[in-house]
Amino acid sequence: MTSQPIARPVLSVGTRYRWDKIREQHQLVFPEGMMVLNDSGTAIVGLCDGRSTSDLIATLKGTYPGSDPTDDVHEFLRQLADKGLLRDTSVD
Amino acid sequence: MTHPSTRPLALLAELTYRCPLQCPYCSNPLELGKYRQELDTATWARVFGEAAELGVVQLHLSGGEPLVRRDINELVREARQVGLYTNLSTGATVADEAKLEGLREAGLDHLQVSLLDTLPESNDRLAGAPSFDRKREAVLGAKRLGFPVTLNVVLHRQNLDRIEEVIALAREWRVDRLELAHAQYTGWAFRNRAALMPTRQQLDGAHAAVEAARAAGTSGLDILHVLPDYYFEQYPKACLQGWGMVSMTVAPDGFVLPCQTAREIPGLEFPNVQDFSLEDIWVSAPVFQRFRGTEWMPEPCRSCDQREVDFGGCRCQAFLMTGDPAATDPVCSLSPHHHLVDEALQEAQQSNPPLQFRVMSS
Repeated sequence: MTSQPIARPVLSVGTRYRWDKIREQHQLVFPEGMMVLNDSGTAIVGLCDGRSTSDLIATLKGTYPGSDPTDDVHEFLRQLADKGLLRDTSVD
Repeated sequence: MTHPSTRPLALLAELTYRCPLQCPYCSNPLELGKYRQELDTATWARVFGEAAELGVVQLHLSGGEPLVRRDINELVREARQVGLYTNLSTGATVADEAKLEGLREAGLDHLQVSLLDTLPESNDRLAGAPSFDRKREAVLGAKRLGFPVTLNVVLHRQNLDRIEEVIALAREWRVDRLELAHAQYTGWAFRNRAALMPTRQQLDGAHAAVEAARAAGTSGLDILHVLPDYYFEQYPKACLQGWGMVSMTVAPDGFVLPCQTAREIPGLEFPNVQDFSLEDIWVSAPVFQRFRGTEWMPEPCRSCDQREVDFGGCRCQAFLMTGDPAATDPVCSLSPHHHLVDEALQEAQQSNPPLQFRVMSS
């Protein structure tokens, strides 16, 4: 696995965000599995739409002023990519 | 009454037992001819809605061959509409381009294609029908359409020496996931156990091949390797993650089973979706409570500190090997019946009976 930062994240084919109204959970579902997202994870996943990671971070800073999510975002994106749930379209 | 502490996460919908293939380890019942009724489209749609309300996240559309259902696209669409993540397992012999496009359009999330062996003639012999070329076409076609594809290879003595070739083929076909799962010795596989059980030497070789592939970097290929439980050193597998704990199966005729092979256990009475809601069944059907939790357990399970880890193993396997579905799974080293596992392994090393293929007779 490379440890290069993810530059332009999108969810992998087959990975889907889902609101579970029964459990009241944000989830990422994928073949044979599921991951429960917390609020910040949900906000990040919602912005994995083809924009660059720096744009994603800038947008989060605009939404939540006074915080610097940069390190958390990079770490979270790396975790998702290592699980195969995310791909970096800048290296495709 | 033992109430479930959790809601089910997965529903296995066996849409039909009809299938063009005759795999000798099929998980469908031995007496297939007894179960020819199939639920109609509207009933399946209702079941999917009830499943979503009950908390099911993953829906597995399976069979038999689910693609022989003419309403398959409609069923996928209904499942997606109620928010379920839809997986479909196919033998792929009837998965032509038009069928795959229809599934894509209906919103299918994930396609699983079975492969019996990397050698075309061996694949076709094990499947009881020419199918290798069609499976390859289906996988390549599904990837062209943008599906995430899992290749499922059931492992046993007759294909276990070709793990490296399996991994190479999975890469060549550019599948996303490779599921290498050993045959589970219930149903047809139990009948064929002496012909399918691998040797320890084969297992070690296969394990080394998987580890070598992982160490070399799997380049986007996710490999899942499920070991055969007869060779477990100490404790049995946590079958189903516990009976009636996370999953349920609806058979083609609407009967609801805690596990797809539970029909093998005599004396269990299964409720039908035509008479009860899935929630009623999950919460209060006696068959779902029969082996739920730990209260049903005999010794050595009852006082074992593993009892909420492996849940006593597999009920079907316990019944098939000991005659008592409530016995500790004989795979467990603490089971008083553990010698049956050693004897089965010995028998398998010393004999090589012909395979008995899945047939639809009653």
